[in-house]
Amino acid sequence: MSQTSEIAAVDTAAPVMVQSPVARLLANRSMRDSTLLLVLAAIWIFFYFATNGTFLTQRNLILLALQTAIVGLAAISAVMLIVTRNFDLSVGSAVALVGVVVAVLTVKMQVNAFVAVLVCLVVGVLMGVWQGWWVTRMKVSSFIVTLAGMLYFRGISMIVTNGATVAPLPASLKQVATGFLPPIWSILLISLAFCLFAAFRAFELKRGAELGTVGNFKAALTRALLPSLAAAVAAIWLASSKGVPYLIVLVAICAIAADILMRRTRFGVQLYAIGGNPEAARLSGIDVDRVIFINFVIAGLAYGITGVALTARVSGAIAGSAGLFLELDAIAAAIIGGTSLSGGRGRVFGALLGALLMGSLNNGMSLMNVPTFYQDTARGAVLLLAVAIDQFSRRRIATSRARIR
Amino acid sequence: MHLLEVRSLTKVFPGVVAVDNVDLDIAPGEIVALLGQNGAGKSTLIQVLSGLYPFGTYSGDIIFAGAPLRCRSVADAEAAGVAFLAQEVNVAPDLTVAEGLFLNNEPSRFGLVDAQFRMARAKLALKNFGVDIDPALPLGDLDLATQQLVLIVRALSKNARLLILDEPTAALTDRETVRLFERMRALSARGVAIIFVSHRLAEVFEISNRIVIMRDGRISGAFRTSETSRDAVVDQMIGATPTHRHANRKPRTGGTALEAHDLSVFDASGREVANRLALAIGRGEILGLFGLLGSGVNEATMALFGAWRGAVSGSISIDGVPAKIASPVDAVGHGVGLIAQDRRDGLSGEHSIYDNAILANLDELSRYGFVDAVKARRKVMDLFDRLKIKAGDVDMTVGTLSGGNQQKVQVVRWLAAGAKILLLIDPTRGVDVGARAEIKRIWTELADAGCAILLVSSDAEEIVEICDRAVVLCNGRIAGTIDGADLSETRLLKLAAGV
Repeated sequence: MSQTSEIAAVDTAAPVMVQSPVARLLANRSMRDSTLLLVLAAIWIFFYFATNGTFLTQRNLILLALQTAIVGLAAISAVMLIVTRNFDLSVGSAVALVGVVVAVLTVKMQVNAFVAVLVCLVVGVLMGVWQGWWVTRMKVSSFIVTLAGMLYFRGISMIVTNGATVAPLPASLKQVATGFLPPIWSILLISLAFCLFAAFRAFELKRGAELGTVGNFKAALTRALLPSLAAAVAAIWLASSKGVPYLIVLVAICAIAADILMRRTRFGVQLYAIGGNPEAARLSGIDVDRVIFINFVIAGLAYGITGVALTARVSGAIAGSAGLFLELDAIAAAIIGGTSLSGGRGRVFGALLGALLMGSLNNGMSLMNVPTFYQDTARGAVLLLAVAIDQFSRRRIATSRARIR
Repeated sequence: MHLLEVRSLTKVFPGVVAVDNVDLDIAPGEIVALLGQNGAGKSTLIQVLSGLYPFGTYSGDIIFAGAPLRCRSVADAEAAGVAFLAQEVNVAPDLTVAEGLFLNNEPSRFGLVDAQFRMARAKLALKNFGVDIDPALPLGDLDLATQQLVLIVRALSKNARLLILDEPTAALTDRETVRLFERMRALSARGVAIIFVSHRLAEVFEISNRIVIMRDGRISGAFRTSETSRDAVVDQMIGATPTHRHANRKPRTGGTALEAHDLSVFDASGREVANRLALAIGRGEILGLFGLLGSGVNEATMALFGAWRGAVSGSISIDGVPAKIASPVDAVGHGVGLIAQDRRDGLSGEHSIYDNAILANLDELSRYGFVDAVKARRKVMDLFDRLKIKAGDVDMTVGTLSGGNQQKVQVVRWLAAGAKILLLIDPTRGVDVGARAEIKRIWTELADAGCAILLVSSDAEEIVEICDRAVVLCNGRIAGTIDGADLSETRLLKLAAGV
């Protein structure tokens, strides 16, 4: 490229302005995930001291993970939708409706739990099809479609149950949300997951080295594996005494599947392209409506999964309050995790970190006996701060031009 | 045997017949230049061919490679072997170059995108085209011309049999254009037919085998390139012999309107893109600012308008009085207007001409916070008539106007705001020859009326034609100033290239 070579020639001679280290840190894309991790670490250290160590015990961290699980599940589909500039305000109500379905089937109609779960997944998918149809065929904005969904899904839940709680769920179903995978199996599963990941990365980087796109195979592999190795070790430590809750296994599977879908498949590339610039996507021959429709269907599948998990966790369907404000928590988690409201940018694991950050605030403040009102205020402030940081770094990126690395 | 046969193609928009009963045959390996003024129907024609308007929204037949082509979408057209490159540069800023190159065409293995293979192929494709970009960079980090190059590489890398390019060279430098033409010739030698729209006649004569000219939705003439001349082509486009070079104006020198001292501009990473520039524009003067891509002309102009997002140092004075211009609000307050390179940056396409036109002058057109609609409308309508905007009325949506008319709406906006200093960045990009001449006439009139105009252009011919004086930048520094009598394309290009 002609102009970069010209610029490069100038670059050495031109005086370089001093930039604040914070600004530089935020301008760097790969650093942004780490920024979130640093914030999370700071919050954890604060709570560690504020609660005399209670916060960072195995027991509390597992509790924290369980508390975060439902929001985490909802945040995964929130990321996928926001990346394409769509919103889903109906998650909370849709989840409540699925909960009603599973509870009515198992408690009132004595249907086999496995069949009931399958029915719930189908019901979730149908809700996704319904909303996707309105958005892509009738061209109603997703904001409105899901706002309407938020109202009538909740309304239908109340009509079906007449506002009463349907409980208790059969033990087998409760087990999903409250049971633990035994420690030995947990450790094996974590190790297996890590090995699969390592093998995949090694395979991919090796291919890159053969094709000449990866310079130093060993260094690249080390860089790719170190963070996940640390995560695996931490997970094994957490699982060592009681094992991993089934619910967390479910969240992990969903997150990994969604991450692969978003970052490794053609469908995923199309999602990001549509969010980044719908016109460019259309001109590239992408069937934008079809992709968005599928996006909503996947969100529907997520209603099914989340609805069953939530209902199992509280052991019954409470049409009035189940999943209340879940959509807002999910969107907040996604945004804190670096998803851009203007589309085109966002990662599943970022959203999970965002959910974990908000969960940590709840959990830590509860341990400190901070009144609920103060908790809400603090969470609001964190959300605002996170979005401000996002905007700030986005501006930095927008103004930085092509430069030689 | 023709590759493409178009038979009595007609496309009607509400109230307008955009393409009127057009027949067109294109042979394999042929490079056809499609010319015509704004609203002549060229864009609509190529958009129909590339599947942007689905089958059934137009009448007539398209036969491609012996079979009827009935596309429901761009994807259908691509599958059939028709690749299209739009005029406006549209990319998703967060995708990497490699992702952008193979968007919707990703190599995959085992159902997953083969990212490494894609990276390798991207490197190869860029190298084959002679572009040195890191395929791992996000597209949003590249400038407009480089984004355009990526899109061109993308269109070329698809195994298309018909390639349709809408003004592919508008954002490119001469060197990049030469490379694009090399690739086009190579494709043509392989039997790929190319239709391209351009407003640069020199290029048209350099690259095309055949020139097809449209006027008012019909094909008004078709020539073998070797058997015609520029004059004949322009005559066909306009329908009459145009007035040639603008007569040399005697600029009225009424004192300095805008002066910049030691103007240095830095980008977000702190690199200096313009170094201690000294610029002065007199009242009634048209000053040209010329430089190749990366010379810092655009950045310096954005800085003058207070719209540059990086750091700026130096001093600016207006009418001899030091002025602090830290934001466009300040600039507008000082009577400075900017017409941006990219029309989408300057206009809101979904709003009407009226809404766009009053935007810069809301304070003056309002009383007690309410817009004085009567006064505002009268003002906009006066200017609308004066600039001869081709649209039904001032309530037309700007997005439906042609490039030249959109440009005029921007001029109206600043005139309504009473701007005395106009900064123009590549204002004729994507504007056809006829409208260009008209817009240039308007600027000359404005200068005669006492406006100071800074014309930033990468088109040397345009600078020579219209400017009283030109400053040339090279690598962020002033390489020289050329006065009216000595202005020539060769001098401009030599200074800009640092020869």
